[in-house]
Amino acid sequence: MKPGELKLPYLFQPGQLGRFKIKNRIKYGACCVSNYNTRDGFITEREFARMRVIARTGCGMITNQGAYPDPLGEGKAYFRQVAIFDDKFLPQFERIAADIKGEGAMAIQQILHAGRYGGIDLGYCIQPSDVPQTLPHFRPPKVMTKVEIRDCIRQHAEAANRAIRAGFDGTEITSFMGYLLANFNSRFTNQRSDEYGGSIENRGRFMRELIDGIKQATPDNPLVVRLNGAELMDKWGGNSEDECFELMRQAADVGVDMISVTVGWQEAPESSIGRDIPPGYWNYLSERAKRTCPDTVITFGNRLPDPRMADQCLREGIFDFWEVCRPLLADPDLIHKAAEDRLDETRRCIGSLNCLSRLFRDLPYTCTMNPSLGHEVEPEYQVTPATVKKKIMIIGAGPAGMECAITAAKRGHDVTVFDKAERVGGSLYAYAMNDLARPDDLLSVISHYEVVAKKLGVALRLNTEVHAKFMRSVLHQYDVCVVAAGARIDRAPFENMEGADLMVDALEVAHGRIKTGKRVVVIGGGKIGLTVAEALRKNQGAEVTVVEKDKRIAGDVKPSFKWRHASWVEELGITCLTLTRPVKLTKEGVTVRDGKGVETFLPADTVILAGDSKPAHALFHEFEWMVDELHGIGDALIPRGLEQAIQEGFRLGVRL
Amino acid sequence: MSALPEPGAWKSAAVCHQELFAALEPGARIGLVAREAPGTMLLWETRGAGIEVRSAPFPGFSASGVDILLSADAQALAAIRAADDAHLFAVLRAGIRSGAVICYMLSRRCVLEAQGFEELLEALGFAFMGACR
Repeated sequence: MKPGELKLPYLFQPGQLGRFKIKNRIKYGACCVSNYNTRDGFITEREFARMRVIARTGCGMITNQGAYPDPLGEGKAYFRQVAIFDDKFLPQFERIAADIKGEGAMAIQQILHAGRYGGIDLGYCIQPSDVPQTLPHFRPPKVMTKVEIRDCIRQHAEAANRAIRAGFDGTEITSFMGYLLANFNSRFTNQRSDEYGGSIENRGRFMRELIDGIKQATPDNPLVVRLNGAELMDKWGGNSEDECFELMRQAADVGVDMISVTVGWQEAPESSIGRDIPPGYWNYLSERAKRTCPDTVITFGNRLPDPRMADQCLREGIFDFWEVCRPLLADPDLIHKAAEDRLDETRRCIGSLNCLSRLFRDLPYTCTMNPSLGHEVEPEYQVTPATVKKKIMIIGAGPAGMECAITAAKRGHDVTVFDKAERVGGSLYAYAMNDLARPDDLLSVISHYEVVAKKLGVALRLNTEVHAKFMRSVLHQYDVCVVAAGARIDRAPFENMEGADLMVDALEVAHGRIKTGKRVVVIGGGKIGLTVAEALRKNQGAEVTVVEKDKRIAGDVKPSFKWRHASWVEELGITCLTLTRPVKLTKEGVTVRDGKGVETFLPADTVILAGDSKPAHALFHEFEWMVDELHGIGDALIPRGLEQAIQEGFRLGVRL
Repeated sequence: MSALPEPGAWKSAAVCHQELFAALEPGARIGLVAREAPGTMLLWETRGAGIEVRSAPFPGFSASGVDILLSADAQALAAIRAADDAHLFAVLRAGIRSGAVICYMLSRRCVLEAQGFEELLEALGFAFMGACR
């Protein structure tokens, strides 16, 4: 056994599902869909390449992304979702199944009928009842007749049979996220008065018939059903947790082989898998599922990203299999690192939900932490040995610089990273220290870089500012210079404003280098300004006002996190003045002018400037004639966010 | 039974938030019902001359003819009635976030956009332009 397997014995012990023996207790969850496929449901080479990486993750059981089962596309939820409604798709599923089984894993095909969230290419979606959408991008509902219900069950059974014929070992249906099965199960969307609605027994009828139909079509192969332990829709009249578990009991009673316990609907008014939910938060649902359905195999993994936590849960009997997907998108080597006792090298999923944010914009998903995701088919994204070994200096130990450093070092280059700060992390460290969601997630990015850089022999020269004089002192010592020095808050727009020198820099405040007073005005309601404002309000009890020149706050915040800032601002009682600009500062406060020209004086001990950022362009001009190759990445080029920093660091690292 | 706000109060709230309603095309309609007893709906309706407010029977979702329907529980309705005009949207937003108010979208996104709902939906807490469909 490998050293990590000895440390995590429950995770790496063999399991069984039906007649299938499974090499460990890890199930790769279907993880939504990739949107890498064709518009008419065919799998592309891009997707095959991604799935080959997933097949090699080391999971004992791998679920292929959900395919819609109906020819009309009523079940189609995503722009480039794969289809399984016809034998013409068989050869492609055969390839996926063969790839998964070729790596010694059990292959499961998910059949995903999106119900309320489906019909993306149509003008409607289908549902049990006429319950309108609560999110504007979904389709208006059309109520299913009993004939259509029976037809839908038949389509699922045929799709399952097709998956088995393609070589999959089992199939999966899903009520996660609020898809069709969830629509029938839930009181919120099922208001029928026939035998498919009303009582929980009747609401569960569709699920029971679906399970029965698939089991009859594939009698020798296990069927997994994903069922919510909590819909998080109960405040809207959806199911209570008690009802969710009654539905699990119904599924177990009709012979489903495995229940995957999930949490939440897409439109739920509460968060379920975001960064603001602590790891392990939902474990109690799995524990209850085990008690409710003691004879059914239970798998679970919502907001449980760490193999050590999973091993502990298996030890305690909280579930039988750990279901994991996003952590494996962030780091496809996670299981191998766990087995080899190298978990300190893991790239953790930080729950930024970049993947889902992109899916809801009909884009292929990508990962903040894994720049290769979605590019597996492209040789340009492979880390290959460098033909010419170079001596590389990287200015800036933030995510862009460190990503570039470790990628280049993996290729055999000799890399030194310089930073004027005393630690690795750059602005990410400052952001993490003020983050109200989960600083630990963001700090894990920094510790990942520290650990991997050390193992790869990347030299770190902290407390070292690189400027023209320094560059002259190291002339001809480096072949490549990469400017990854990030950006600073731009003071230029305010240089003619009276009292402008009284404003302090938001990044300095965020780093803890400047102490603020009890009454604070923050100029700029983007992510830097809001993060600082929220932390000062919550952690120091300061009275905070945010002044934003645009119509709305959070303009540069990732869409999936915008609502979080908006709700924090309201919960914490932070006043936000939009369409407003500062016009004059004194030691007593700041005078601001709104869109109508009305001036107001805001008393303040500290005025923090968190306006637009300015990249470190000056360094490019200074160093242009001093080094053979000069490159720029991340905020030093254009101030943006963590994802772009990491992506650009990687993309430069693989081609230097 | 949960009482809806008085039409006069509903009208003055709309006037107070003129910047949200000014963008709406004539014919845009927003309904409010009591979740426990949705027999009557209170309507904000844009006409050429501005916002009109009226009560109407609630005939069910699909026949309601509204673009957006706010369905509030008894506690949320009490908070809505108690809110002063300037804070009405903050109360609605908080209700939607907590689940006490359900905001149903009866028109498709493209229709809502064409009708000028972007600002109003943003004020209700939706990142309206976020999704591309």
